[in-house]
Amino acid sequence: MRTARSSGLIAVCTAAALLVVLPVPARAQAKRPELQGVWIVNGTRTDNLKLTPEGAAARARYDHLHDDPAMRCIPATFKRVMHTPSPPIEIKLHDDYAEINYEFMDVHRRVPIKAGLAAKDAPYTVPQFPHLGRSAGHWEGDTLVVESTDLKAGLLDSLGDPGLWQSDRMQTVERFVPNGNQMQVIVTMTDPVHFLEPVTTTFNYLKLPDGQLLTWDCVPEEAGYERFNENAPKQPLPQRNAQ
Amino acid sequence: MSRTITVAVCAAWLCLGGAAIAHHSVGINFDNTKAFNLTGVLKEIDIRNPHSQITLTAQGADGVAKDWFIEWSDKNALIRRKVKYEQMKIGDTVTIRVSPSRRLENVGYFQSATLAGGVILRDCGAGALADAVEKGADLDCPQVAR
Repeated sequence: MRTARSSGLIAVCTAAALLVVLPVPARAQAKRPELQGVWIVNGTRTDNLKLTPEGAAARARYDHLHDDPAMRCIPATFKRVMHTPSPPIEIKLHDDYAEINYEFMDVHRRVPIKAGLAAKDAPYTVPQFPHLGRSAGHWEGDTLVVESTDLKAGLLDSLGDPGLWQSDRMQTVERFVPNGNQMQVIVTMTDPVHFLEPVTTTFNYLKLPDGQLLTWDCVPEEAGYERFNENAPKQPLPQRNAQ
Repeated sequence: MSRTITVAVCAAWLCLGGAAIAHHSVGINFDNTKAFNLTGVLKEIDIRNPHSQITLTAQGADGVAKDWFIEWSDKNALIRRKVKYEQMKIGDTVTIRVSPSRRLENVGYFQSATLAGGVILRDCGAGALADAVEKGADLDCPQVAR
């Protein structure tokens, strides 16, 4: 009993000593490398979903067979991409940018990391799909925070929260929170046209041991349900830049 | 105080980690509460993204043969989950258990296939892989009809 108590005291004292010895920035950055790797989603949750009348009306009009740009091989939003249950995402950290690669639709995102850089002044992070907006990243301790703006109006999600739409006033903040072999990506969405208050979706991820992304190679003619129903109406879609 | 915060944070993490994906396209497009067997000849096998598609020529109750379009998991998922889809060959006679489309005729979602010789083929899905990764184990997907 006394030994156990002593061991506990030593552990507490050691931890306290480390807190004193290590400089604050080093402590704050210790877990950042844990974000690197290939991740599969393992549960999601959306909180505080309160739609404006316009948001509710848009959701009521949603047609799952025709409205998802994925039916044309176009990723609607990062929320839509991350809600796809099977294809993983990959994160690689560099000194001044993060690569976030999504297997779904072969989306390769390059987010600049620079304190003080506003999203509106940042580049489009996926040049192939400019409707996904401009993003700027910064660190808050071990959490990578990515703010995005200049997002195009259109479908927000067809999975998880099917039938949500966004306006071009949508702004998002994604927080990538490391925790060993787990990670959370907490997405806060602010869109006064469709949401009464900011909505939060939390994605829980597991690191895939020795995981690698595969190519998606989506072909529009094979992706939609029009292959079963050639007379189905087609919705206007975000522009996709030539590769 | 700090212990309270720690416990609260851990509890929140566990709750969120246990949450399942509420919806996905299979549930939206297909009625998973129903399933039936189709026996016929494999006409086309397209293992691809975002959804694989199998065309099966099967005889209906009226005795007329028609094509059924059977949607399945994406190619990358089948590879990652080690589903041996290459065992299916065009021209083979197979029995495929499908869930019907909610809106489209002659369209179903693949649940399992019984191949010649009684070999069963199925994909246990993203949840099964996540469970295996979480346990540090290999994916265990019993090849039984469902």
